Amino acid sequence: MFLIFALITLAGAVALVFQRNLVVAGLCLVLCFMGVSGLFLLLANPVAAALQIIVYSGAIVVLLLFVVMLLNEHQEEAAVRARPLQRWLSVAVLLVLGAGVVKLVAGSKLLKQLDASPMPPAMTLNTLGDALFGRHLLGFEVAGLLLLAAMVGAVALVKRDL
Amino acid sequence: MTSLNAILTGGLQGYILVALLLFLVGLAAVLCRRSVLLQFMGVELMLNAANVALLAFARFRGGDAQGTVYYLFIIAVAACEAAVGLALVVGLYRHRQSTDTDRADALKQ
Repeated sequence: MFLIFALITLAGAVALVFQRNLVVAGLCLVLCFMGVSGLFLLLANPVAAALQIIVYSGAIVVLLLFVVMLLNEHQEEAAVRARPLQRWLSVAVLLVLGAGVVKLVAGSKLLKQLDASPMPPAMTLNTLGDALFGRHLLGFEVAGLLLLAAMVGAVALVKRDL
Repeated sequence: MTSLNAILTGGLQGYILVALLLFLVGLAAVLCRRSVLLQFMGVELMLNAANVALLAFARFRGGDAQGTVYYLFIIAVAACEAAVGLALVVGLYRHRQSTDTDRADALKQ
């Protein structure tokens, strides 16, 4: 089960990088988020899985696709000039980082120790609400203020003459 | 449990590996693609990689609510970032009629 969701996630992400059409790339992003949400389910966290689908696939990707269609930029434009050095440099950096990551994770003793912990009970909205409105009330209010500020900021940036 | 077994069957190592690879793929989108919208999708991928790692650690260290609360705050910030970021993309397009980052290399028109 884990392997299936992990492969869905990574396949969606890799398809996004190699996709030419921006709308299809957005749909690849949805596929990737679905895989991530499946991973959250396997981590005994159905609340996070639902939030992942509602907020990311439901809100952020829709906003993104809306902008893609608004600007009518379905294809990437032709390059101004080829940058072979930068391109190969970035591929090399990514390959080195990827090899380092695999080696680090596979050889880590600390991660292996944590592996033995038993499966906790599934996260419920009750537990989350208690924590959110008890210990983290201030953070919750600040997040609300931040969302308001972002909304006003987005309107101010896009509006032509304020 | 051997490392390979833990990675294949969903031990902590498997989740961390998926998170780190997802981060690298997002980095690849930011580094190798020219369209600012695709780079934005790459940033979202990297943010999600951080979320996967966070919730994996939360579950394997006892599974209390703190990890999920933190995840909630992260997606609130991600939603703000998406709104403001896409507004900036629209503003950039108005100035240059392009969403190509190579064409937006001057501070003044």
